[in-house]
Amino acid sequence: MGTVVSIELADDQPEPELRGMIDDVCAWLHEVDARFSTYKPDSEVNRLQRREITIAECSADMRHVLDACADLWRDTDGYFDAYAAGPLDPSGYVKGWSVEVASARLAEAGSLRHYINAGGDIRMRGGSPDGEPWRVGIRHPWEADKLSWVLAVAEGAVATSGTYERGDHVINPRTGKAARGLRSVTVVGPDLALADAYATAALAMGEGGISWLAKRAADGFESAIVTDDGRAFSSANLPAAI
Amino acid sequence: MRRSTAAAVGTLTGAALIIGVRLSVTPTAPAAAAASNVDLTNSTPTPTTSSKKSPAAGSKNKEASPAKTSAAAKTGLKDGTFKGNGATNPYGTVQVSIKVESGKITAVSATFPLTGNSATINPVAIPKLKQETLTSQSAKVAAVSGATYTSQSYNESLQSALDGAKA
Repeated sequence: MGTVVSIELADDQPEPELRGMIDDVCAWLHEVDARFSTYKPDSEVNRLQRREITIAECSADMRHVLDACADLWRDTDGYFDAYAAGPLDPSGYVKGWSVEVASARLAEAGSLRHYINAGGDIRMRGGSPDGEPWRVGIRHPWEADKLSWVLAVAEGAVATSGTYERGDHVINPRTGKAARGLRSVTVVGPDLALADAYATAALAMGEGGISWLAKRAADGFESAIVTDDGRAFSSANLPAAI
Repeated sequence: MRRSTAAAVGTLTGAALIIGVRLSVTPTAPAAAAASNVDLTNSTPTPTTSSKKSPAAGSKNKEASPAKTSAAAKTGLKDGTFKGNGATNPYGTVQVSIKVESGKITAVSATFPLTGNSATINPVAIPKLKQETLTSQSAKVAAVSGATYTSQSYNESLQSALDGAKA
């Protein structure tokens, strides 16, 4: 996957136990990579794509991901599209979902205070060790060492989709070309899989993503957006740190 | 002798407005305008009512004197502005007003609610994001959210600086 994952566990368990929890998260993420990476010729997603297996023969996780991608395709009016580039590629959903699941597994194992940052998408629980919410900065879309917003989130997800790292990697399904209009889209909400997919879909929509994301506030998803020409927008209840 | 036939204030649709009033009266001073309730029960009010569908009162009203006819006959239309009983349809309650001058309906307007159960056709509050100034700041944070970094750019990222500091 090539994604760098940072994990902070702020619990009181003895260190060997915490290290065991981190090993478990790594094992899970490797399992996800083996199943869903389009770069691995024998991954389940590629075997499905080549019709070597049918959907019915796929793992439960694969079927869940395909269902979720179908729902998102519908809910984003086609802008979240696992087939946007041609062959099946559910990475836009898998990225956030795998971390959402990892955080849930950590919680089940007894870690109630942690965050996982996978390539810029973060799931946090329990607030920081100092008793305050986790302080999360949004990377400035032009200045790599600066922040454009600072958020305070005790429990939830922060996902950012942008064009300044990997360039024009998000396709607008309507034009078939690289999305234009938005440089950075951050979504904050209760679920990292959805936050990540919404951020990616909004980026694909271009300026129309600004009003589309505004409506997601009804479901608890707040947003912070910067356009290609430097205008900044945020939702009314974005959890900004004071 | 006064004889008048009041047209039914019937179908207040966009297509067919009040046809008119046929009056045959002796000109007298017009009645004082007074708002009163006219029963528009058979009407089907619609918010698209507009003056472009002007009533064909004039053309059908061959018998009335053009400007000065009083409408103050028992079954005629009095001059003035009248509001109908509100009619409730799936979009809300619509109330129609008609204006009668010289016994002819010269204007019709409809008011429709902007709140309540009219959400389907009336403007609703559209959630918006507010525009603000893009700030560039340095602050103490536990983590940084950004576009997915590559392994190389991670090394130069703020997140890696944080990770290095905690290791």
